[in-house]
Amino acid sequence: MKFKSLLLVGGALLTGTAASAGGYQVTLAGQKNNGMGGVGVGLSLDQAAMFYNPGALAMVKERGVQLGVNGTIARQAFRAENGSTQRELQNTTTTPFNLYAGFGPTEGKFRAGIAVYTPFGNKLQYADGWEGRFALTQIDLKAIYVQPTFSYAVTENLSVGAGLMVLALGSVNLQRDVPSQDSEGKFGSIELDGKAKNKLGFNAGVFFKPSEKLSLGISYRSKIDAQVEDGDVTFTGLSNTAAASFQATKFNATLPLPATTSIGIGIMPNEKLTIGLDVNFVEWSAYRTLRFDFDKPISDSKTGLPTTFSESKRNYDDALTFRIGGQYQVTSGLTVRAGGTYDNSPVKDGFLTPETPDADRITGTLGASYKFGEKFSVDLSTQFVNLKKRTITQQDLLNNGTTDRVAGTYKTQVVVPGIGLNYTF
Amino acid sequence: MNTSFLKNSLPALALLGLAACQPELDAPTVDKGSADFSRYISIGNSLTAGFADNGLYLEGQQSSYPSILAQQFSAAGGGEFVQPLFPADKANGSGFVKLLSIDASGSPVTTTVPGNAGRNPGAADKAPYVRFDQPINNLGIPGIRMVDVQTAGYGSLAGNAYFERITPVANPLETYFQRVKREAATATFFTTWLGSNDVLGYATAGGASPTATVPSSTTDTSFIRKSARILNVLTANGAKGVVSTVPDVTGIPFFTTVGPRLKANLIAKNVPGMVLQTGFNPGGPTTANRKPIATTDIRDASGGRQLFTLGGSAAAGLIGTATGKPWRDVYKASGNPPAGFGAFLTTYGVDTTALFGVTAQNPFPSAYVLDDVEQATVATATNYINSTLRTQAAAKNLVLFDVNVFFAGVALNGYATNGVNNNTSYIRGNIFSLDGVHLTPRGNAVIANEMIKVINAKYGSTLQQVDPNTYRGILLP
Repeated sequence: MKFKSLLLVGGALLTGTAASAGGYQVTLAGQKNNGMGGVGVGLSLDQAAMFYNPGALAMVKERGVQLGVNGTIARQAFRAENGSTQRELQNTTTTPFNLYAGFGPTEGKFRAGIAVYTPFGNKLQYADGWEGRFALTQIDLKAIYVQPTFSYAVTENLSVGAGLMVLALGSVNLQRDVPSQDSEGKFGSIELDGKAKNKLGFNAGVFFKPSEKLSLGISYRSKIDAQVEDGDVTFTGLSNTAAASFQATKFNATLPLPATTSIGIGIMPNEKLTIGLDVNFVEWSAYRTLRFDFDKPISDSKTGLPTTFSESKRNYDDALTFRIGGQYQVTSGLTVRAGGTYDNSPVKDGFLTPETPDADRITGTLGASYKFGEKFSVDLSTQFVNLKKRTITQQDLLNNGTTDRVAGTYKTQVVVPGIGLNYTF
Repeated sequence: MNTSFLKNSLPALALLGLAACQPELDAPTVDKGSADFSRYISIGNSLTAGFADNGLYLEGQQSSYPSILAQQFSAAGGGEFVQPLFPADKANGSGFVKLLSIDASGSPVTTTVPGNAGRNPGAADKAPYVRFDQPINNLGIPGIRMVDVQTAGYGSLAGNAYFERITPVANPLETYFQRVKREAATATFFTTWLGSNDVLGYATAGGASPTATVPSSTTDTSFIRKSARILNVLTANGAKGVVSTVPDVTGIPFFTTVGPRLKANLIAKNVPGMVLQTGFNPGGPTTANRKPIATTDIRDASGGRQLFTLGGSAAAGLIGTATGKPWRDVYKASGNPPAGFGAFLTTYGVDTTALFGVTAQNPFPSAYVLDDVEQATVATATNYINSTLRTQAAAKNLVLFDVNVFFAGVALNGYATNGVNNNTSYIRGNIFSLDGVHLTPRGNAVIANEMIKVINAKYGSTLQQVDPNTYRGILLP
């Protein structure tokens, strides 16, 4: 099947670096939106409405296919509370992308479409020998949603829509070192690798446009629990004496991909200028612990006694994201965009982990589109994401019972250039 | 115009993408505060010398906590730090214990690596340890007690072989105190951690040695006086420094490893109790040196009081059999001539044809048990030593590192370092070396970090801690 092979290609490419929203959320779903601070719930810009607000899809005039690709380029500095060198990530550029196809009658009241996007993802590879190696050496988390969508205009001013979200491809690969030393003093390591089961959720929205100058939207994406069963556990570098304590070969784990509620406003003072304001509310509080259940015993990291599970506190808070962005049509072919985002981190003080070294973030965005004739156009966008410097002390870890991670200071900056191709029919 | 915009903007956007510049975090500034680390000396016993795995050898010396401290001091004006290292070709030092494997029952299988630096018991080479004649910063002497510091001739064959190797040939009667005085004359900073052996010798002998006595508030004049003299001479030239208390030795793996396993075995075999020998007084089955205990009285996580030493590990496996082997081992360790073994058994009224460990005729040897009464003696002595050290440190306005409080916390909660949980259990705890008493390199790094914390707090310095995980724990082959 052609669609399935496309997905597989996507799977190889699609990951975010938790670049454009808190936690491991990735909101790079539309290239026009990316240039406008990620607004879109109160707008009906293009086919990406399927992600931002399915209710707005029926108000999108064009039908067509669009494809967007982003490159997330993350740079990070880390200094351990009791380490002497600055650690930097082994640089990885990831390429989240999105694909939309929208159909419907020219003058009809409905639109239908299919969307493929990556609402969550995370990829980090820490420097060899870094102080946090026993918490994490690398992570690669992928989630690809496929969403058949239907939208209906109830009146000229009001439309509704919904999509069936399918977690079509989800995977996790997590690696860290095991603090057990062989006769040379070398540490072992563990790799957890698994695929998530296919699961369903939904995305629904309402779009209301009382006048030419104003539009309002609200949308909801439900939570999906990414559930890994019988993932592979691989230990390497353990000596014979140590290996007896680490027998597991399979693991189960569940990671919540949380629900998001969004409201948005669109303001169109004139035909050329569009301004959007969005607020997203992400129910990160669903992420309480990261638990792995093993088929056979491993050595408990705290007591050294045999155990068949490991559990690590996350205790995320629900989080808000505030977005503002605008576009201006300079000529009949050229449109330029700019925007900004303030993103509240769901990670509480004392709970910061190397796999999501999150912090409140401020993002600035730029974008432009150019039309080549009636049917074809190109979108360009760039996001500059600045995570606040964040420190977690050993005392914080002790106070919260989270000593399974490393104390230190993280500072991360991300740049996300992107390009989109649109073909309307 | 429009196409040229695109031509110009594409490379521009690509450049913006590359501009994801690497953030930089400033290196923390290291300041000496009001302390002066230019010449640091360390005073102490085996723990200070880097003794580990039942021996003093090069690797342990190189990861002693004073050497780690000196390395961190060097960023704050600290100077050269000389340790009396064994040379590389005699790196095995006094010899040491090495882990070979862990058997199916979970017991460690070890071997002894023979020493190659002299004083090798049982070998032809009984010459003194290879000498070290330069000025020394690390004055840790394995085995030294506070009460030994003014003993003339301590640096001789009759005294302490480790002190012998650094005692000047021209002044063979130099005491430890005099050596400290010489080195302290130019020192600007010191750490001192003496006193553990004043109680440890009694405890590791299971309270069974007539010569190992402990100081107490009612009998002591020596400890308090000698401790004060050491601090006087260290501070005579205005040096600042750290005074460390001594740990409660009953919390170390040497005493906490064998008992719990023994208790579980006895319960599994429905053995209700044991007969112990206690103290060191002569006497047979009907005398006060026999002490019957219930199995439930063996200390483990669930309760109980009686502690069994690591040295009694083999004897614990022989309980309930008619054997004299544990008594032969005890007698052999005393160093007396083999011919006296029969008289030894008669003195203590031991009948090796009776069942070992469960009968008054063949009790479990006192040397392998620190019973509740002996523990009380240890606790009294530890409290006395520590209150003396605390008082004297306060009087001199020195930094106090309360090792006792620190290790009590570690015994309760473990000690987490950068995502790794270390604790006080034997082997898998990674803090204590294979002898169950002395520290691994990682344990030394932990002690160095804790000292850095109290030094920073007192003197306003900003010394950096080390990452203890880069220092080895127990190696599992």
